[in-house]
Amino acid sequence: MLEVKGFSAGYQGNDVVHDVAFHVAPGEAVMIIGSNGAGKTTLFRAMCGLLSPSSGRVLFDGDDITGMPAERIARLGLRFVSAERHLFPRMTVQENLLLGAYPHRPDPETMSVVLDLFPRLAERRRQHAGTMSGGEQQMLAVGRALMSKLRLLVLDEPSTGLAPLLAQAAYEALGVLRKRGLTVLVAEQQVPLAMAFSDRGYVLENGFIRLQGTTEELAANPGIRRAYLGVT
Amino acid sequence: MTANILDGIVLGLQFGLLAAGLTLVYGLGGVLNLAYGQMAVVAAITVSLAMDAGLPVVPAVGVGLLVGGLFGLLLDVTLLRPVYRRRGEARVLLSLLLTLGVSFVVDGFLIWRYPLKALTLHIGGGAVELLGVPMRRGSLVASAITLVTFAGLFVFFRYTSLGRAVRSVIEDEEGARLVGIDPKRMLRLILVLSGVLAGLVAVTRSMVSPVDVQSGLSITVFALIVTVVGGLGSVAGALLAGIILGIVNVVAADLIGSYISLIILLGAAAVTILIRPAGLLGVKE
Repeated sequence: MLEVKGFSAGYQGNDVVHDVAFHVAPGEAVMIIGSNGAGKTTLFRAMCGLLSPSSGRVLFDGDDITGMPAERIARLGLRFVSAERHLFPRMTVQENLLLGAYPHRPDPETMSVVLDLFPRLAERRRQHAGTMSGGEQQMLAVGRALMSKLRLLVLDEPSTGLAPLLAQAAYEALGVLRKRGLTVLVAEQQVPLAMAFSDRGYVLENGFIRLQGTTEELAANPGIRRAYLGVT
Repeated sequence: MTANILDGIVLGLQFGLLAAGLTLVYGLGGVLNLAYGQMAVVAAITVSLAMDAGLPVVPAVGVGLLVGGLFGLLLDVTLLRPVYRRRGEARVLLSLLLTLGVSFVVDGFLIWRYPLKALTLHIGGGAVELLGVPMRRGSLVASAITLVTFAGLFVFFRYTSLGRAVRSVIEDEEGARLVGIDPKRMLRLILVLSGVLAGLVAVTRSMVSPVDVQSGLSITVFALIVTVVGGLGSVAGALLAGIILGIVNVVAADLIGSYISLIILLGAAAVTILIRPAGLLGVKE
């Protein structure tokens, strides 16, 4: 479904990610793990059209989307939920969700599915998005993406700014979506959370993919256990 | 006192409409359009010329609004291109300088070609009593048109999907792009809308006092004051600030004298900005 090849990107001519390659198959949950500053956010921003890559290609369903503007990529059904969420703070929860469907007419059925998945959003429908807690905002950011004709959900650090219990709850909701067949690509530095959720993963260090494998393989790797899982 | 308040509201509605077109463009695109008053004047002169050519008032006004909208579109596709490539302060500054240039060129052209042209729309019939105060019919018609325009704007921004998309760009440009909204297209739409609103400003104003080829600068200045007080990017703020400043202006002119009302108006604006730098209904950056 998604294929990234020889991908490099960065800011002002200084590449932060170098020659990265990975893929996501339909129905899979794939994680990209790495510490803070490893280049996960830069990789995703360049992939989703918010930053121009310096080299490499991104294929989505076989179509080359490299360097396409973010709004066109979003319309193809590849939705990026950034760690900063980028909600519309002075618009209501309801309006944020409706905008997720833009430019299509919002589907009432999809709306009720989203509100069932996140009952908190249903309770706060008329509240401004900016007045909600971090956990609720994360739900809304995911809910907004779900309102679209979503094909691939790309999440950057969904646990950012959330208390441990809430971060866990966020991943549980993602687990539900997975079981319904949604394809998900997630970047995470809280590795145990991502591991409990993903089929496969890639380890990004200093902008390079150092390791890849199934979640079991990665979890058994002594280097990963030491660096990311706190096992000595 | 009732008379003052009513006159203040009439003036305030005019102020509010003045600011609406300017505040939207600034809030959406970080573009400060100093040729805004000239958009209004060009629309006014167009209406006047169309009427000279024998067109009845309503179609002539339609042509004027169309020309106002085209003015906005023309700015978007030509001079503002390099502006859009810049961000933040550089964008505001460049837009300000370029549109100031446009305002000089337009003023110069109009003064050269149509030195004596002015638009005055006479609304016949004598005064109308409102709450026991005799009001000029022209003022009331102008206020009614303004109120309908604001109602239309509120419905558009609150209940249509296109209107919500425009607001989303004001709220968070990156967020808008991530849901598939192209900020450039929204900005083009709003520039056209702002040109039409400038045209409406000229038309409603001409029902109360003549709009001549040199009215551009004062329209821009008043629009700027009201925009800053109301909060950048907020149509509701423009309306609220317009009405408050309108009442302040009329009451000050009555109590102290019209020679000092402009100073009081500017003072009120300065005080608002000191207390609330983002304006009455503006967002903190």
